Parts: sequence; structure tokens; C-alpha cells
Amino acid sequence: MLSRVADNLYWLGRYLARAENTARLVSVHSHLLLDLPRGMTLGWSPLVDILGANRTFEDSYDTYSEANVVRFLITDAENGSSIATSIARAREILRTVRDSTPREAWEHINELHLFLQERGEKHLPRALRQEGLDRVIDSMLLMRGLLSANMNHDVGYHFLQIGLYLEQADMTTRIIDVRTVDLIQSKAGEELRPFAHIQWMSVLRSLMAYQAYRRHEKIRVSGPAVLRFLLQNREFPRSVTFCLNHLSGTLPRLPHNRASERSLDRIRALIQDANFERLLEQGLHEWIDEIQVGIGAVHQSLAQSYFQPQSGAAQSQRQLVFG
Amino acid sequence: MAIDWSQYRCKGFHDELIADASGEPRPAAQHLVHYLASLSAAELAERRLAAELAIKVMGISFTVYSEGRNVDRSWPFDIIPRTLSKAEWTKTEAGLTQRVQALNHFIQDIYGAQRIVKDGVFPAELLAESVNFRPQCIGMRPRGGVWAHICGSDLVRDLDGTLYVLEDNLRVPSGVSYMVENRQVTKRVFPELFQTGAILPVDDYPAQLYDMLAAMSPRPGDTPSIALLTPGIYNSAYFEHSWLAQQMGIELVEGQDLFVGDDNCVYMRTVYGPKRVDVIYRRVDDLFLDPEAFRPDSILGVPGLMRAWICGKVALVNAPGAGVADDKVVYAFVPKMIKYYLGEEAILPNVPSYLCMDESDRAYVLDHLDQLVVKPANESGGYGMLIGPRATKKERDKFKELIIANPRNYMAQPTLSLSTAPTLTDSGIEPRHLDLRPFILSRGDSTYVTTGGLTRVAMTKGSLVVNSSQGGGAKDTWVVDLETA
Repeated sequence: MLSRVADNLYWLGRYLARAENTARLVSVHSHLLLDLPRGMTLGWSPLVDILGANRTFEDSYDTYSEANVVRFLITDAENGSSIATSIARAREILRTVRDSTPREAWEHINELHLFLQERGEKHLPRALRQEGLDRVIDSMLLMRGLLSANMNHDVGYHFLQIGLYLEQADMTTRIIDVRTVDLIQSKAGEELRPFAHIQWMSVLRSLMAYQAYRRHEKIRVSGPAVLRFLLQNREFPRSVTFCLNHLSGTLPRLPHNRASERSLDRIRALIQDANFERLLEQGLHEWIDEIQVGIGAVHQSLAQSYFQPQSGAAQSQRQLVFG
Repeated sequence: MAIDWSQYRCKGFHDELIADASGEPRPAAQHLVHYLASLSAAELAERRLAAELAIKVMGISFTVYSEGRNVDRSWPFDIIPRTLSKAEWTKTEAGLTQRVQALNHFIQDIYGAQRIVKDGVFPAELLAESVNFRPQCIGMRPRGGVWAHICGSDLVRDLDGTLYVLEDNLRVPSGVSYMVENRQVTKRVFPELFQTGAILPVDDYPAQLYDMLAAMSPRPGDTPSIALLTPGIYNSAYFEHSWLAQQMGIELVEGQDLFVGDDNCVYMRTVYGPKRVDVIYRRVDDLFLDPEAFRPDSILGVPGLMRAWICGKVALVNAPGAGVADDKVVYAFVPKMIKYYLGEEAILPNVPSYLCMDESDRAYVLDHLDQLVVKPANESGGYGMLIGPRATKKERDKFKELIIANPRNYMAQPTLSLSTAPTLTDSGIEPRHLDLRPFILSRGDSTYVTTGGLTRVAMTKGSLVVNSSQGGGAKDTWVVDLETA
């Protein structure tokens, strides 16, 4: 496996997960608006906050209006994390790694790319939005299934999976972070309680976790329980712990790399020891920041060990592999 | 009835499918022509749309540089196949095999004893001025004496029905992926036509190519490690590079993925550390291969690659310097090379050629510029040509000066009446000019020729330019076995 190809496959995984999560976020947010009581408005800016893209947004738009934010998140080519950009980059990557990925994967992402380029704008207004987002979500799930079913589960596949799960862990923590900021603020006004409940459900829905939560927790939706589920659950595939466990399980299949394992263990310990009742009272945001830094460190160590082209001299000092 | 073949006007040219004015098909095209006539105009339009869609979805594309950026364009494809009879193809195959054998002898000789020059068959001054001669290659003998492992020869048919060789592409010929993909699309669009089994398959090319590449490994016995070296995603043939790597299951590498170690071996940078490479199918031009040996500003190549090749640690396909025989002036000597090296008469004729370096030829060319096609020796892709009958006086005068200033660099040929084939256009079925590029693989002990090849068609009415970079398209090419039909 070429270092350049491993790097590309890793990013392919990240872009696929990013596009899917962003599509879900917009979808759930659009639905959430329908359930809000008259007179209460929920801004669209949290969605931009989640992606940490406020500066890019403000370069092109004046207000965080629904139309602006939705365009920014779905079709805007200037936004490095819009759905269209993620798909375009995933497509570029599949073009460069066409030889190590199944042909149908390229055909499928190419089709979705053409759809977004040609008809994406038409699907921004509320009436057609859900249809467009569903197409993206379905495509991403199909891509994952297709890659899993048709690609050799070789070292390249493991890099792809690492990208997918690391991005999912990243997106899950981002979604929790931004969504709970509103919740904590609204705790002050007692009369908002029922809507706080709706918002906690929307956190779960953003991650396709509502049904799974219900099955697993068998209790009413409550803040600490939702956090426990999304961060510590070992069985739900979008929980941070599940993602990190998957990474720990995959790393041993790659050439030995202690640095990545160490940075991974650090985040796992952080999550295991968390007390969510207390964090909800105070310090949740800072705590999530710490996890985000940890995810960044895992990325760094992967890049250093596997992706960055070393000089010929540096490489020939390492053990040569023949065959 | 959508197509009334008696209304098809191809007078003045040899048509590949239709034999005469009454619309009678040639034997190899009979089944196809009758089948097409059974489709309604709406059905035909539907199939055309299906083909366009298939091409777009399959991502069969080529990259063109226009308006300052690279654009990925869908492959322009005509759904009506071009047919050849198996009998004609068998003879053509023999002719191409003979030709490539002679060319490999020639290249080996040029970088070795230069017998052909000493015996006065090939002029020394031609060699001295060849821009594709690489002094770095003198004294080399690649495995099996093969330099041009992959050759793409362009064939054209004149009014009299003879197939002529127009040129031999020995540097980095492209198009073979489209040959295979054209067949895939046609199978999707006209599945009914493939039930008789008379259309010979084309898809074993990647397997043949793999076997040839593996046979070139400097470490025979082991499973060789093979890589395709591409200039990258912005190259016009990138689609083909990734396609071939995928079909053969070899690594697709860029220059940055490779380095030459202190042991003069070539290594790939992998997640496991360096891995040795035995054979490189390079789709990068000679001059960009190795900044230490050639252009120092090249970032596409690998420093030290020529050193590794000269030490015999890696096979390069095609070999550096093979382009010395890919020159439109050297081309004119191929029939003589066949006679000289093989003691045989050429099976496939060259297009008659006038070499401007020869005084009497030059005088003829200058006098007949309005009837000739003038080509520079080393351009490819149809660039830098003068098509006399269609040029303005000003353009002809410019070429007159160019030829007088540098006669070695020019040759001229009579304008051929390129053959046509029925092509689906917006205004129905019309004849369009075409050529054929078969691919020939050489491994020393054996030679493989593709079944048919890539048919390129000039989509614009009356145009003779078939290059995809200049508005050309393609057709599926059928070699039809009439005995099983």
C-alpha cells in the first residue's frame, strides 16, 4: 500500500462520514423547527458552529438565515466542509485510487456528484430539501456497504475504516457540543422544559440514535443518559466509544505504530472516567474540547507514521521490505 | 423504418460498412446493417441516449486543457460499430507483427553497432538530427532486445480499399482503455447483436499486457512487483492510467511515490516502508523520467531512474529512447528496415511519403503544397500539420519557409481519401471519416496484436481530424468471424 494511497483512502473515509453527518444535521434541524412553539425561534447558526466554519460563512453571507445556512452546508463550493465539497473531494480521491477501489464506488459517487452539481440548488428549499438530503444519506450508506462488500479487506480498507470512524467520533462530539450549548442556556427558563426534551431527542436523531437509545436505555430521554449513550455506549456505531474501540481494533492490523495507540488510549480513558451529571452542570464544553484535541492528535500521529512522504535517505534507513 | 440505406451517401470514399450506392452492406457488416434498419428513429435515439448515460455514469472521460483549466470531458462515442472481416484482420495482424519486430531490431541496432547506417540503408544525418535519439541509451540491450514493448500504429484506408500504416506510436501510445470500454458500452446498448458469437472479444488486453510486463522483470522467478508511472490526475490520459492499473492489479504510482536507493534499485514508499519495484510501465515522456539524466526541472519523474535502468535493476516499458523510431521521417524507412532486418517484403504498405531532406522530393513538395499533407517529424496529436488542399495561400507560404529552413523536420504525403462509416448525427445517419489504432505488445519471444483496435472518428462533417483533443470521437471496432456467423 502506497503511503499516498493510504492517505487518500483515509480521507475518503472522512469525507464520506462528514457528508452523511452534515446531511443528517440539516435534516434534523429542519424537522426540529416544525416542532417549536409559536414565537420561539431557533437560529440556524448552530449548524455552522458545529462545523467550526463561521469565518468562511461570514465571508460570503450577511445573516445566518435559513436559506443562507442551508446553501452554505449543502451546495456551497467555497465551504470546505459542505456536502457538495465533501462529495467532490471524495470523487477526486476515488479518481486517484480507482485502481484500489471497486469500480462501482467511483460510478456511484460520480453520479451523486453530478446530481449535486446539476440539481443541488433546486433541492435547497424546504419542499424538496428532504428528498435531496435523503439521497445523500442513502448514497453514503450505499457507498459504505459497497466498499465493505466489494473491496478486499486489506490494509487500504483499514485506512478507509479508520477515516470513517475517526470522522464519526469527531462529528458526534461536535454535534453534542453545539446542541448542548442551547440546552444548557434554556435550562434557566422552567417553561421551556418540554422543548428541552424535544431538543435532546433531536441530538439523538441527528445521529440516528433515537431508536437505538430507546431500545437500549428503556427510559425517558434525559440529558445525562443521552450523553452516556452517545459517548460511552459500546454497541451503538455512532457513539464515540464504539468508534474509538473500532480504531483500537484496527490499528494492530497496520504496521506497528505506538504513537497512534497512545493518543487513542488517552481519549478512551477520558471518556471512561467522565461523570455526565457533573459535566452538564459545568465544564461540558471544555471537556469536549479536550476530546477534540485528542482526536486531532490521533490524526497527527497517523499522518506522521503512514502518510507523509519521507526522504529517500530516511526511508532506506528503515527496514526494507521485499517481495 | 428509420434507416433507408439506399439514401446513405458515401460516394467518393470507401465506406467500411456499406459497399455500394444501393445500400448493400459488406459481408462483415451485414448482420449489423440489417439490425439497425429494423430500429425506429425513436429507438435509435433511445440507444444513443443510453450510451451517453452509460459513459457519463461509468466515468469514461478524458481531460482537455481549455480556457486555462483542465476539464474532464465525457468520451465522445458513436454507437454504430465499425466492422472488419476476420480474414482481413489476420493479414493485418501479420503485417503489424512484422513491422514492430523490424522497429525493435532498428532501435537495438541504432543504440548498438548501427549496422543499418554503416550499410548505407539509413542515412547517418537523420540520426544526428533526431530529437528522440537518447545518447544515454547507447550500449544498452533491454531484456529480449525489446525497446518498443507497446506500439500503437495508426491505420487508414484509402479509396482503393487498401489499409495503409500512417504512423507508429512508440513513446507512450494511449487509447487502449477506450477500445475495451467502447465494447462495454456497445454491449449495454445493443446486447442483441452479441448473441451470435461472431464478434471477436477484445477484453483480454489487460491480461496480455500484464504477462508481457511480468516477463520483463529483472528478477525472473519471483512474483514481480509492477507499477504504472503516471504524470498524475491532470494528464489527459489519466483515466486510462488508472483503468489499466486497476485492470491489471498493479500499483498506480506518481514520481513522488518512488525513489532510487543506494543499491540502484527502485523503491515505492508504502505504509510498510520501502518496497522494491521490478517493472515500471511508464506513461511519462522520456525527458521527464529522471531529472538527473534529462530535464532537471521535471517533478514528474524519479531522480536516478535512468541509473537504475542502466544497471539492470528495473525494466522500463517502453524503454527510454524507443521514440527514436517514432518520427514521421524515420517512418518512411520502415519498409526498408523490414527488408534489411527480416529479409521480407512489408505486408502492410506505408502511405507514400516525400522526405523534404531529399532534394528532388523537396522540390516536388514545394511545388505541390496545395495537394499534400505536410507533417513535422516529431509532433503528435495532429498538431503542427498543414493540410494543403484546405490551407490558405498564407498558410502554405508559411510552411514553404518552414520547410526550407529545416528540411529534416518535414515530410509530406498525398491527401488520402480516408474511408468513412455510418455515424449517428443530429440529422440522421451520415458518413464520417475514421482511422484505426491497433496496439501491439512485444516481449521478445512473442508478439500480441489487439483484435481490431481503437476506431477514431472525426465527428465533424467532412473533417479528417480524428484526435480526441480536437473534436474526434470513437466507435466500437468489431472483427467479425464470418465462418461462425
